Amino acid sequence: MNLTAALFGKTFQFKDLKEVMAKANEEKSGDQLAGIAAEDAKERMAAKLVLSDLTLADIRNHPLLHPETDEVSRVIEEAVNEKIFAEIRNWTVAEFREYLLRQETRNEEIRRISRGLTSEMVAAVAKLMSNLDLVQAASKMEVTTHCNITIGQRGVLAGRAQPNHPTDSIQGMKASLYEALSYGIGDAVLGINPVIDSAESVKAILNATKEEMDKWQIPTQNCVLAHIKTQMRAIRQGAPADMVFQSLAGTQDGNTAFGIDVKLLDEADDMIRREGTGTGPNLWYFETGQGSELSAEAHHGIDQVTLESRCYGLAKKYKPFIVNTVVGFIGPEYLYDSKQVIRAGLEDHFMGKLQQLPMGVDVCYTNHMKADQNDMDNLAVLLAAAGVNYIIGVPMADDCMLNYQSTSYHDIATLRELMRLRPAPEFENWLEKMGIMENGRLTPMAGDPTIFM
Amino acid sequence: MNEQLPDPWISSVGIDIGTSTTKMILSRLKLMRTSSAISLPRFDIVERELLYESPIYSTPLKSGDEVDAEQIWQILAKEYELAGIRPEELKSGAVIITGEAANKRNAKQILHLLAERSGDFVVATAGADLEGLLAGKGAGAEDRSKRIRGAVANIDIGGGTANAAIFQRGKPIGTVTFHVGGRLIQVDTGGMIIAVSPSIRPWLDASGYRLEAGQTISFEVLKEICSAMSRNMLDYLTGRAIPDREKPIRALIPGEPLTPVPSVEEWMFSGGIGRLMEEAKPDNLAETAVHGDIGPLLAHTLKECAAQYPIRLVKPDQTVRATVIGAGMQSTEISGATVHLDKSVLPIRNLPVMKLELSSHLLEHPESLAEALAQTMRNGANLYEQDASPPFALALSGLSNCTYFSLQYLSDKLSEGFKTYFPSSGVMVIVCESDIAKALGQSLERRCGAIPKVVCIDQIKVEHGDYIDLGEPIFGTMIPVVVKTLAFHNRVGVTNV
Amino acid sequence: MNRIIPLDQLVDKVMAELEKKLPAATTQSTTSLREAARTEPSVDVTGFGELASNVPNPKWEEGLDELIASTPARIGVWRAGTRPLTREMLKFRCDHAAAVDSVYGTVSQSLLDEFGLFTVDTYFENTDNYLKRPDRGRIVTEEGVERIRKNCQMKPQVQVLVSDGLSANAIDGNLRDVYPSLLDSLKAYGLKVGTPFFVRGGRVAVMDHIGDILQPEVLVLLIGERPGLVSSKSMSAYMCYRPRKGTVESDRTVISNIHPLGTPPLEAGAHIGTVLKTMLEQKTSGVHLDI
Repeated sequence: MNLTAALFGKTFQFKDLKEVMAKANEEKSGDQLAGIAAEDAKERMAAKLVLSDLTLADIRNHPLLHPETDEVSRVIEEAVNEKIFAEIRNWTVAEFREYLLRQETRNEEIRRISRGLTSEMVAAVAKLMSNLDLVQAASKMEVTTHCNITIGQRGVLAGRAQPNHPTDSIQGMKASLYEALSYGIGDAVLGINPVIDSAESVKAILNATKEEMDKWQIPTQNCVLAHIKTQMRAIRQGAPADMVFQSLAGTQDGNTAFGIDVKLLDEADDMIRREGTGTGPNLWYFETGQGSELSAEAHHGIDQVTLESRCYGLAKKYKPFIVNTVVGFIGPEYLYDSKQVIRAGLEDHFMGKLQQLPMGVDVCYTNHMKADQNDMDNLAVLLAAAGVNYIIGVPMADDCMLNYQSTSYHDIATLRELMRLRPAPEFENWLEKMGIMENGRLTPMAGDPTIFM
Repeated sequence: MNEQLPDPWISSVGIDIGTSTTKMILSRLKLMRTSSAISLPRFDIVERELLYESPIYSTPLKSGDEVDAEQIWQILAKEYELAGIRPEELKSGAVIITGEAANKRNAKQILHLLAERSGDFVVATAGADLEGLLAGKGAGAEDRSKRIRGAVANIDIGGGTANAAIFQRGKPIGTVTFHVGGRLIQVDTGGMIIAVSPSIRPWLDASGYRLEAGQTISFEVLKEICSAMSRNMLDYLTGRAIPDREKPIRALIPGEPLTPVPSVEEWMFSGGIGRLMEEAKPDNLAETAVHGDIGPLLAHTLKECAAQYPIRLVKPDQTVRATVIGAGMQSTEISGATVHLDKSVLPIRNLPVMKLELSSHLLEHPESLAEALAQTMRNGANLYEQDASPPFALALSGLSNCTYFSLQYLSDKLSEGFKTYFPSSGVMVIVCESDIAKALGQSLERRCGAIPKVVCIDQIKVEHGDYIDLGEPIFGTMIPVVVKTLAFHNRVGVTNV
Repeated sequence: MNRIIPLDQLVDKVMAELEKKLPAATTQSTTSLREAARTEPSVDVTGFGELASNVPNPKWEEGLDELIASTPARIGVWRAGTRPLTREMLKFRCDHAAAVDSVYGTVSQSLLDEFGLFTVDTYFENTDNYLKRPDRGRIVTEEGVERIRKNCQMKPQVQVLVSDGLSANAIDGNLRDVYPSLLDSLKAYGLKVGTPFFVRGGRVAVMDHIGDILQPEVLVLLIGERPGLVSSKSMSAYMCYRPRKGTVESDRTVISNIHPLGTPPLEAGAHIGTVLKTMLEQKTSGVHLDI
């Protein structure tokens, strides 16, 4: 494995794959904070050059985190199809990039080779891609999933209704939910982040969303984004959950900090299959985000793009209905400004899709980042072009409970009209029945939440 | 922070002593922290579970309408035993004396007796508005109103009175009482009138009926009386008739009529008459007078009459037990969990409420605030016993934007005023609407020293003229509170009429 | 001592009510006063006024008011095509402007003087660096350490710290209520307070460094939170029993969202006193504290 590159009359020598992977990243404040980023633009390019010549086998043969010591690595390794890997093991990362971008490489081909990939190979190729490469390659991949309805079809842009409330007031959540539905948002999930992480609270919220789904015959699925253990307690107490949710990290230690491990996820998986109210087969909702391992001091010196890719490798095991990266939530120490957030959003979407995940993106920022709503507009358009499965819908993009800004009900409606995208088919039929949408366009009634009172 | 409480359940009893029947229920209320771990603690009742329902007893009477208090106690003692609870375990609940049984002599005797023997649970008392509200909650009208746009009325009809409570979007918007009941006219199966209640006489006179004990009456005439009574009541409730213009209707309403009556989309009937509506319809005197009164006939004429109005008739969750369930399960509230308590003076029962409405303007103008406080203290000293400990509960609203500076000034004036007007009172009770009781309580205590002791609670909304019961501390940080609204309908802003 | 209103008197009262309701006049004036109090404008930072419905012909007008009143979320906002109306969009941008400015603002010196708080710096250098390098905000400069040693009582029972954190506005907006209320509460419990001071450019874990220097029994840090659009002046109180280098997050107890429209500042101050007292009694904090 060659770890040197001659560039601008200088020889750059890297000590291991970990260093190459980190330094080949586009600039990220999180890699700088971890002390693993390229010193300057030249060193970054040298690392990219080295990386481009490594083979997929080189990457597999030099694990960044040994499967013996890390269960996320184990899950990723065990999922590799050896026959397919054997076909591509001698590809360099450069060749792999070109294969993905070639016109004759279509969804089916990519889906097949994806079974021979590890998360590290996926991260490696992302590091060699430009933003438009990431959009182009991702747009080829169609990942459809089914919980109560199907989403992810080509031409479909779904939305998560995220009607959070600062004190978990059921009435207040319903108010925001009605507003979402009146804009045609809610086909991905009616998903609420609770303030109070208790089984009683989770149960009350699940009951409330289920009640609305039953009352208005809404073809969608519900979920409460509490800790998995809390959701399990609520389900045991009879709460109607179509899906279960959990945040994931890309290392075992990171997951320990989240209070989870593979055994617990397996248990929850078993439970949602036996006791969940969703039709399936896809019954999970995962969230991830670059930087979470570093913030838990569980990054093992690995860069945040690679760690993010490993989250997807773990997520794949559970065949989720939806996955999203909360791309700008973790803070400026990981993604400093809009440039970094936009880059990370495109990387994450691409890396997840390449691992056959139904990727959504929470296009978002906090108020101490160098970013604003215009930047979110930009990233949302890029992701819609890349074929993102869904994005988040919050009233006017302002989440009054999590105190950050995402995308709005208006934004999803706009992207659909602009890019000729539609809600999920079953949901669109329902919107037509309710008089909210006609031929893929909002009717004059749309935007009136009192339709649902 | 440890949010797991040792035992989140508190026991609550409801006792309803009415003109014709007496019943008791036992329930438990589950307290849960409803604020996040990084907020100030706040607990609410999140679950109400009915544990035990007594049989329905005939109210034991000594003579006429005098309730036999000693026998009531024997019934309750037996029921406590059957329910497996000792009175001292009860943390909350309400006794309500309803209908015509709610006369002064009965109330006095029963309340004395229960206060002496029933342990420390909180005792409420009769009042037609409170009774109507509790029945409306117990019958499910309050809950139902949250689900539809229009208002929902529950009319709870017993032996002597009908109490209507109207709810809209979960809020009570009016109550009214009628002299309508199943036992107002007692007859035997042969049609002989056994007794006519004095309370229905004005209406009978105004309507042109002359009924006397010993007289015989036909089924048809009796039915006509029941129809007229029903129509008068429903005409009034639907705004079709105005009491001041129609004498019979005015005679049917003991208190001040509610004007205007909010328009109602659905109604339901609870109480004994509500239950009789579900039973067979009487076709003759023999079927009518099975209980020796007009109850079954009134129930069915009322049901037929109600069908003639453009208002949906819905089934109540509870009929004959609506009031007792409301009293036992829906009367208790929980104070905020950051409050200032003094265990040695709790519980406190039947405390009258004086209300002072503060505002940002008052808080920013010390002279006006001082004057308002002095006025309130003067009124309190005139109305209530000055050496009672406490003489009354001072309810404060409008403190949500209070600054530290205003709080100091308010505390100065409150402690000075209390000591001036109530020099020999040992306890001061303050009830705040917004979450400020711990800060205010600490400020007051610092100024008051050992006397008076300070109890300052919050997140309870009370009005001038209410009475409140303050229970013993739960988990050391909060108390159950029962707000007894004696006069309700005159001060509730009636909207959407 | 515990005299309640005599039952006879209560019964009389009840009976009087039953026969004749309270005079309507007095209580009606109460109602109107109450209405007045309710419609009093709440704190309105941007001058955009209360949230109101823009929906032109809602199916149910009163229902819409009920929805808007039930949540601080921006609902009932209506649209131009699929885009928000101009005023709503500008209101959103104004709230964001306030939030951004509070990150880059500074705490008023006269406020610090008012409470006699001297200032020490962390190694944050400047706001941009503060944002990128949280580790820098966890260590007080050498000069600052000197000043602490010179000015502060060592090994106090309670150490109080104030820091701008991510919102200088939070300190300017809430310190005048939270801080004296906290001191009153500590005094009421008979707790002894060391020498309080202000840390410029502090992160939460600066508690540990200062804990090492001063060795307090308990420490409370009042610090500006990451600003949101609902409020750019939200403050948190982080509390810890014997904070030292290596203290883990789960050892800290937090009360957050302290501002006039969130956790009430006066009550927060009083409650923080109770929490600190409990920590001293139980000799622990964070997840181990039973409160």
